[in-house]
Amino acid sequence: MQNSHIHTVFVCAAVLWLAGCATPATRQALVVDDTSFSAKNPYSVSVSASGGGETGAMDYTNISNENLAGAIKESIVKTGLFTSVVKSDDADYKLSVSLISMSKPMFGLDFKIDMEMAWSLVNTRTGEAVMRESIKSSHTATPSDAFVAATRVRLAVEGAAQSNIRQGLQKIAELSLN
Amino acid sequence: MIENYKSRFVIALLAVLVLLHGCAINRATSNIDPTTDLSSLKIFHVRKNIADTRGTNAIIEDKLAERGFRVSEAETGVDAIITYVDKWFWDITFYMLELTITVRDPKTDFPLASGNSYHTSLSRKSPEGMVDEVLTNIFFSEQKQGAENAK
Repeated sequence: MQNSHIHTVFVCAAVLWLAGCATPATRQALVVDDTSFSAKNPYSVSVSASGGGETGAMDYTNISNENLAGAIKESIVKTGLFTSVVKSDDADYKLSVSLISMSKPMFGLDFKIDMEMAWSLVNTRTGEAVMRESIKSSHTATPSDAFVAATRVRLAVEGAAQSNIRQGLQKIAELSLN
Repeated sequence: MIENYKSRFVIALLAVLVLLHGCAINRATSNIDPTTDLSSLKIFHVRKNIADTRGTNAIIEDKLAERGFRVSEAETGVDAIITYVDKWFWDITFYMLELTITVRDPKTDFPLASGNSYHTSLSRKSPEGMVDEVLTNIFFSEQKQGAENAK
C-alpha cells in the first residue's frame, strides 16, 4: 500500500517535471533561407546579438545570444545580403541585434508570442548608424503544430524570431549602403 | 504506525521538492545599444502601461528622481521615454515575477537600452527592489548581456 503511494507520487513528480521542461529555440529554426534579396551589398559585416538567454528546464523557452547571432549570420550568407560575414572588427559594417522583449503566455491551446528586437547597423569606417529599427513580430503555434505544450511554445518563439530576422534583413536590403 | 509516518514524510518531502523546484530562479540582464550614450540622457517620461493596475509607473518615476534624473509628465521635450512590462504571479501573496524596462528614443521609439529582472517566489523582491535592480543594471552597471544566475 505504502509502496504504491510512493510510486504514485514519483509518477506525479515525473509528469509535473516533464510538463514544465522547456527547450531552447534552435538556431536552425531561426534561419531565413526562403528569401533572396535583390540588394547584394559588396561589403563585409560582423554580427552580434544580445538580450537572449539560456533556457532552464523549468524556465520558459528562450533564445541564446549565440543561436540568435548564428542564425542571422547564416541567413545573411544564404540570402546573399552581404559579401561576407566576418568575426573581427575589420568588417565594413557592424550589425547589432538585441532581443528587447518577448511575451510569455503560460496557458492555452494556441500560444502567440510577440517579440521586439532592436536592429542597428553601423558603418565602421565613418561610425555612422545607418539603420536603427525597432522590429516587432509575432507567431502563433496551435495544437496541430505540436501536441505537447512546451514544444508548441518553442515553435511559437522560433516562428516569431524567424519572422523578426526576415523583417530585419528586409530593412537592410532597402538601404543604400556605400 | 511508524511505517505510516515514514510514508507520509516521504510523500510530503517529494511534494515540497516538486513544488519548490524552479522557485528560486534569479535573472538580471541589461542591454545597451552600441550606438547609444546613456550618459547624455537626463529627462525622461515614463509611459504608463495600460495593463498596469499596481502603479509600477509611479515607482519607476520615483526611482529615476532618486537617481537625479528629471521626470516629465509630457512625452515632448524629453531625452527618452521609458516603457515597461511588469508580470505578477501569486504564491501565498501576489509578487512581481518579472520586470522589463526599456529606454526609447522619443522620436523613433527605438530601444536604446533595456533591462530585465526575473525573481521567482523564493527569491522574490518588492516592486521597489525590482525597479531598483533594473534601473541600476541599465544606468549604472557594465553591460550584462544575458547574464543569469539560476539556482
